[in-house]
Amino acid sequence: MPSTLAAVELNSYLPIFIILLMAVTFAVANVAGSLLIGPQRKGGNKGIAYESGMNPVGTARKRFNVRFYLIAMVFLVFDVEIIFLYPWAATFPNIDPGSPDSLVWLGRILFFLFTTVVAYVYGFRKGVFRFD
Amino acid sequence: MSEKLALLVPEIIVFLTTCIVMVVGLSPNLAVRRSCGLLSASGLFIAAILAINGPAGDGLLPGLTPYIKAVIALIGVLLVMLVAGTVDREEDARVSRGGVFNALRTNRAEFYSFILFSLTGAMLCASASDLIWLFLALELTSLPTYVLVTMSTRGTRSQEAGVKYFFLGALGAAVFLYGFALIYGGTGSTKFVDIASIIAQQGINQITLAGMILAIIGVSFKIAAVPMHFYTADVYQGAASPVTAFLAFVPKTAGFVSLILLLALVGWDHGTDKVSVGHTLPSQLRLLLWVMAALTMTIGNVLAVVQSSPKRVLAYSSIAHSGYMLVGLIAGPGDYGAGFAHNGIAAVLFYLAAYGLMNVGAFAALAGLERRGRDGRPVEIDSFDDLRGLCAGRPLLGWTLVVCSLSLLGLPPLLGFFSKLPLFTSGIASGEIVLVIVMGINSAIAAFYYLRFAAVAMLEDPSDGPKPLAAPFPARAMSGLVALVLVISLSFFGDALMKASRNAAVVEGSGVRAVPASPSPGHKAGDRHDAASPAAAPAQRVGA
Repeated sequence: MPSTLAAVELNSYLPIFIILLMAVTFAVANVAGSLLIGPQRKGGNKGIAYESGMNPVGTARKRFNVRFYLIAMVFLVFDVEIIFLYPWAATFPNIDPGSPDSLVWLGRILFFLFTTVVAYVYGFRKGVFRFD
Repeated sequence: MSEKLALLVPEIIVFLTTCIVMVVGLSPNLAVRRSCGLLSASGLFIAAILAINGPAGDGLLPGLTPYIKAVIALIGVLLVMLVAGTVDREEDARVSRGGVFNALRTNRAEFYSFILFSLTGAMLCASASDLIWLFLALELTSLPTYVLVTMSTRGTRSQEAGVKYFFLGALGAAVFLYGFALIYGGTGSTKFVDIASIIAQQGINQITLAGMILAIIGVSFKIAAVPMHFYTADVYQGAASPVTAFLAFVPKTAGFVSLILLLALVGWDHGTDKVSVGHTLPSQLRLLLWVMAALTMTIGNVLAVVQSSPKRVLAYSSIAHSGYMLVGLIAGPGDYGAGFAHNGIAAVLFYLAAYGLMNVGAFAALAGLERRGRDGRPVEIDSFDDLRGLCAGRPLLGWTLVVCSLSLLGLPPLLGFFSKLPLFTSGIASGEIVLVIVMGINSAIAAFYYLRFAAVAMLEDPSDGPKPLAAPFPARAMSGLVALVLVISLSFFGDALMKASRNAAVVEGSGVRAVPASPSPGHKAGDRHDAASPAAAPAQRVGA
């Protein structure tokens, strides 16, 4: 039976509280420090939007083709697939190949892969991969 | 491990149907695309049969799992019939006039798969044996409904409703997730069986209690009960009528199943539990549920009286029905092996099935009618004027509306009466006399607006001006007809369903619960009930 003592006593939350305090102190101290002792210059290049080091071109409110979002969503399927496959692959070798559990484990991931394939078939029929 | 998989066979069937529908719904062939509804309904029907014959669950209420899954899948079949034609109407017309099919413009595949996803989630709630499982299942039930609301009509009202529903739903999910986290923090386990035995042995500590309170308040969003009921009217009105019927049944069922599973962790405060196990519903939780029940039914009923739109009336009445069912939750399962009339959980489970049927019938009458809007497009009817003289003009829809609204009111000898009666009797058996009186007063208030539905359709003459047209989807009227037949026949032959709900409501499984109860009057009443005729049984019990 799991122990409930640690979670009920408030003492065990003290380290979390200290870390929270440190985080808040660090943030406030940095902002206050740069306000107090930093040089105060305004205008010129300092006011330009930061664009990964390049000079920004045009307005930020430009419209994108909706296909970019569709591609991003298809990518998410890939992403989630990897997130699940990696821990599965790390655990699977430790399972005794003779036990019936191993087949269940294999079946589960195959079922999951099947669902991602369905997602791709859906995307394909919806015309996500048609670039014209 | 594979036992749990055997438990999930109905959900897997529904999920595979979802995968098929998602691909079939995008076929370039119109006839193939139109088979989505039939495919969904057959998948749900197979799942229901498998659930009925399937194994009992592995949680604290083993009988609950197959019962709820079968109810959800069977009423899901009716709901799938009811949503026929909700999306893609203009696109289909354009294509059949010779237009080119454009996959990006159709919504049928998504619509049916979201409905099936949501039903899968609700069925998974019933199999839950773990807090994390329960959270994921509840979210799988809710997330598709936000999209369903938004895409159900082309108007901006649906979009507004969808956004409101989404943000308030996220708030509700955050609250009950925090509650689940505190329950885990207070007991050290996420498994229901472990949590129940820890609480039975060590008593409930403050953190667990806070967690239970937050979990109950968060889940009350799903059942549209008081602290979280504000969205109901706007969302139900903004969604298309068939989707509203879906919202009023599926998330509510999932929410009540979760509440039953959560309350089973702490137990109830009367019956043999108290004597043999020392396992009681804490007074704070009882007070919380008591206030929620009283406020929910009163606010729902009083606000329903003053509405002018039929959909808003049904939305507020849906709040009120949640309030009635909360009484059964407070009453709890009674003595171990108590009969149907003394078992509040059985009453709630029976009420859920009955409410689902009556709800489909009432909304089928609304969804079966439409008007031409100013631009010639079909729009939904949304006023009582459109329902005037419905029984004379369109007898099937009219009588469905009359019978279902009278049944929702709880008029004997209809199904609604036999589902509300055990809530009263179990409330009295557990000593909640004041709450039962509040419920009686509320049932009287409900007569105002339910009789309005019946009177408008049955007694009044059709109004002048253009009459509403029949929606060109026979499946909608058919789902209303099936609901009507079931409401009437279950009123007289509902014994099997009552017995099933009673068997579903037996709490055991934590080990400490398997104490044989001493013989009590409740037992004898229960035995006699099994032999008695269905319609007369609850009436006899009041005297017993």
